[in-house]
Amino acid sequence: MLLDTAPRRPGVFDALHRIGALARHNLIIRLRDPGQMISYVAMPMVLMLVLKPLYVRALDQGATQIATGLMVMFSVFAISMAGNAILSERTWRTWDRLRVSRAPAFELLIGKTLPLFGVMIAQQVILIVYGCLAIGLPVPPSPALVLLAIVIWAFTLLSLGAALATLVRSHGELSVITDVGALTLSSLGGALVPLSIMPGWAQTAAHASPGYYALDMMQAAVRGDVAGILPSAAVLLALGLAAGAFAARRLARGWSRGGLL
Amino acid sequence: MLVATDLVKRYGDVRALDGFTLSVAAGEIVGLLGHNGAGKTTFVEIVSHLTRPDSGQVTIDGRTPSAARGEVGVAPQHLALYPSITVREHLELYGRLAGLRRAALREAIEELSVVLRLTEIMDRRAGKLSGGQQRRTQAASALVHRPRLLLLDEPTAGADLETRQAMLDVVKQRAGEGAAVVYTTHYLPELTELRATIAVARSGRVIVRGACDELLRDLPGEVRVTLDDEEEIAVSTSDPAAALIDLLGRVNRPVTSVDVRNPSLDDLYRSLAVTHAS
Repeated sequence: MLLDTAPRRPGVFDALHRIGALARHNLIIRLRDPGQMISYVAMPMVLMLVLKPLYVRALDQGATQIATGLMVMFSVFAISMAGNAILSERTWRTWDRLRVSRAPAFELLIGKTLPLFGVMIAQQVILIVYGCLAIGLPVPPSPALVLLAIVIWAFTLLSLGAALATLVRSHGELSVITDVGALTLSSLGGALVPLSIMPGWAQTAAHASPGYYALDMMQAAVRGDVAGILPSAAVLLALGLAAGAFAARRLARGWSRGGLL
Repeated sequence: MLVATDLVKRYGDVRALDGFTLSVAAGEIVGLLGHNGAGKTTFVEIVSHLTRPDSGQVTIDGRTPSAARGEVGVAPQHLALYPSITVREHLELYGRLAGLRRAALREAIEELSVVLRLTEIMDRRAGKLSGGQQRRTQAASALVHRPRLLLLDEPTAGADLETRQAMLDVVKQRAGEGAAVVYTTHYLPELTELRATIAVARSGRVIVRGACDELLRDLPGEVRVTLDDEEEIAVSTSDPAAALIDLLGRVNRPVTSVDVRNPSLDDLYRSLAVTHAS
């Protein structure tokens, strides 16, 4: 006799149950392969410490520049975590197996990205706290505002990583794009050198880099400047929503013969 | 249970399905045969809602594949497992996605681990398993929620004898409980053991469908008699027993061996290949 496999519950509880199962599953995968997570936290910590004397002597807000700048730069590197996590589903050929389940595409995406979102937020929180404790970053007057900025930036990065994962053909390709892209976008955005002392063309080009808006938003949040974070937050949210919608649409079709490739 | 009517699916210039029609009743095992490229995998993808047909219709228990998701268990041809996740965690994931909870989930996992001989490796990561163990894990994760329709696409490809037997046992068990099963394979004796009805696909459509006995009835078997001087006499016949009696009556010399072979699915498959090629 066949069992009735799923007692019919209100849809929202079923959906939460499935998303929870997927998030737990993806968290286990992440925790069993923590190399990237550790390196994207440890590397900026080391660099902040080494570069602090130089920045403090050279710039008025040197500690803020190096702490927020490297936080933004290494959070952009973390795009590759999101990309790899999604691309691995293709390598392992597991995405289609999930698509056959009761979970619709949006649940699969939420369950897949939730742990990554948590990792990205944790990375940035750790770096900000480290900046305050070890680098001399002024303690933000409004931690909630900093957290909001971190959440917005993590969402944008996650969406960009997911969109990228649906476009590239291999992990190698993803790695090249994220490494070169992270360095270029964050440097151009003023993560390493303040925009004010960069050449004119770079100051103009910076407005095309998400890193610029992230740094602007993050520094405003550290100052406790609510009005200051709004323009950059709006740009990043719009970018995140567009990239997220693109990724969701592509991933809903899967990687089978009629799908992405 | 499953009714697919006149499915057409093109990939560029290639017509993967070209009027594919097949129905499977509850409790029935249909052995879907065909060369590579005959359309078997595309059919499985359409029924499991991974891709949509260009035209034609599929219903599962009267519902569309989209609405019936979760009632279908799919074990694809290729291995699709998470290397760093254990066998138990795989079954928990797919069970939970299908709506199983706590005791029901534990019972389903326990039962499958015994039936598919996974008990010893439940806490081992999939990436560390042998090919056969991975096959069984994959099948278990397709079966854990007791789907009403099972789509098994070459589930024993490259599998060892233990895996093959375990797989056949569980398929028979589930069909006995009322599940409809579509079983694609290149190992034809498996279908005889499963007592499957047969559908043969070619060039994107089902060209023959029926019970195994019916399909084999008109095919010739073979009688082969070896004489004492090692001379062999072979007769192709639709009635091997009668042919043997007749042959032994006519041969006036000592016989060292007799081989009677009834028509098999291999013969059916070969004969269809010749018929349709010509």
